Amino acid sequence: METTLTPAPAAPAPTSLKNTPMLKLLDIEKVYQTDTIETVALNRVNLTINKGEFVSIMGPSGCGKSTLLSLMGLLDEPTGGVIEIDGRAVTSYSDKELARVRNHKIGFIFQSFHLINDLSVLDNVELPLLYRAGMSSKERRQRAQQALERVGLSARTRHFPSQLSGGQRQRVAIARALAGAPEIILADEPTGNLDSVMGDEIMDLLLSLNREQGTTVVMVTHDENMAHKTERLIRFFDGSQVS
Amino acid sequence: MIRHLFTLIWNRKRSNFLLISEILLSFFVLFVVSSLLVSSYYNYRQPAGFAYDNVWEVNVAPGQDTANRKEMMQLMLQRLQATPGVVAVTRTSSNTPFAFSSMNTNEFYYQKKQGPSTDRYDADDDMQKVLRQNVVAGRWFERRDDASTRRPVVVNQEFAKAMFGSESAVGKVLTNDKGVASWQVVGVVEAYRRGSDFDGNNPAIFERRVLEGPDHLDPNDRPVLLVRVQPGSGAVLEQRLVKEIQAVTKGWHAIVNTLDESRHDKMKIVLTPLVALGVVSLFLIINVALGLFGVLWYNINQRRAEIGLRRALGATGAGIGGQFLGEMLVVTTLGVLAGVVLAAQFPLLGVFGVPTPVYVLAILLAAVLIYVLTAICAFQPSRIAAGIQPAVSLREE
Repeated sequence: METTLTPAPAAPAPTSLKNTPMLKLLDIEKVYQTDTIETVALNRVNLTINKGEFVSIMGPSGCGKSTLLSLMGLLDEPTGGVIEIDGRAVTSYSDKELARVRNHKIGFIFQSFHLINDLSVLDNVELPLLYRAGMSSKERRQRAQQALERVGLSARTRHFPSQLSGGQRQRVAIARALAGAPEIILADEPTGNLDSVMGDEIMDLLLSLNREQGTTVVMVTHDENMAHKTERLIRFFDGSQVS
Repeated sequence: MIRHLFTLIWNRKRSNFLLISEILLSFFVLFVVSSLLVSSYYNYRQPAGFAYDNVWEVNVAPGQDTANRKEMMQLMLQRLQATPGVVAVTRTSSNTPFAFSSMNTNEFYYQKKQGPSTDRYDADDDMQKVLRQNVVAGRWFERRDDASTRRPVVVNQEFAKAMFGSESAVGKVLTNDKGVASWQVVGVVEAYRRGSDFDGNNPAIFERRVLEGPDHLDPNDRPVLLVRVQPGSGAVLEQRLVKEIQAVTKGWHAIVNTLDESRHDKMKIVLTPLVALGVVSLFLIINVALGLFGVLWYNINQRRAEIGLRRALGATGAGIGGQFLGEMLVVTTLGVLAGVVLAAQFPLLGVFGVPTPVYVLAILLAAVLIYVLTAICAFQPSRIAAGIQPAVSLREE
């Protein structure tokens, strides 16, 4: 099993940036409404994620952690409140502008990996770069290969997801998130489907990305041990931040 | 992105194979229907080669008495020609314009080369006055042909081209397979599409057969006359012609039809199978469309998580819709390419003797129709894909 991580290609974020807000949630509300039921998923959440921070979010199932991550990743719209990325409110952004922000600034890692089984590892990692205008296929290939080297999977480029272990699949997903050189990685229970050894591997990888490259990481987890490895732990309960 | 689509389709070749096969089959059906339609339209645009307006066909039913039939026929023709309102009269074989009867032969040889399958018509010196065929080389039959030792014939351009190539047809001598009976070409007419407006210009040969000649008259022969009348002639002249025939022939019956009526009747009969084929094809295409629509709908539901992922990675809603439409167009292209390879064999092998431009146009028409069909079928599912909420679809898996 490959566990080696290659040295980070980029320098860590300068300490001065650590206090610069990367992502701000101001009075965020999210209400799911059906004909008869109104469910408050998030209730007036105020949260700031600084550049270069590694933040973990914990809470019981259904407390709104994943909803929060979806809102941070601009995959969903809040019912109320404002989301700011790099000091700019994105509430009024068009679909095209939101897609551009997601593509350039945000990398996603999911619990169930969300790899496309009919694409090779390299093609999966290239995916975010396909939506980046003006990038040549050669450059896409290079960046995808570099990302795979970064997660220690350069020998698996032609494999398909079904030929990989769970840990390897999650590393492919991390490489995909890295390929676009995002400023922030949003990880939704990235170790949730992995055993403890593989979970540690993935956690080490995220920590190294944060420390060596200065990538901001927000991770939703149920695992106290993993959460305690991060710089800041935020707890949620019933749609509200409790600590 | 196009390369990405090809990669995706190639990697999903098993599931796409059925879709490609369905498109290939639809393309082929459309190609066949298009070929028929284009061929019919192509023929419709070609000159008929004769004038049918103000021409009446008189079918004569002789009595039991077969004595002096030749003389009686001569007398009948003279009386009809002398009737006021009649421009010209010709006696011909039963395969008149728009008739179902046909006479086909491939007995003609030129320098040991067998001629094509040819429609054969009996004609006399006056046929050209009645049907006004456009003589493009040589001449129509004349009295001086009585002295000819070979039977004079007039051919159409299609026959001349098939038999003599680029050489002039006039003066050429045709033989049978034993090289004995001989015919001499005295003229070439432009075309003779007498079947219907949608029939092609088949090779045709007119053989001179006049009552004054040595030909034996078959006692069972039911004479067919074509009569060109003055414009505006109607029922009065029709009755008069019938009376003249009965007066001369002592009780022979005659039925008169205008060629215009025959043309309309034939048109209905020719169009019926075309329309029926069109309706059957339409139902087939609707079935194919529903099939495509269902498959695409199913595909999109199966790929909701992928759609959510792509949105998360930077795809816009429109981009997702475009991708699904693009995938369908790539799959369609593969099906159409296979169909074109198959359809191209028809002009390459000269199947059915249809001109190459007809097949080329039919291929283009079928391709355009199949692209329109798949685009329509893919449009709504692609719109649905574009509207899928990424946060929801990512949570579904």
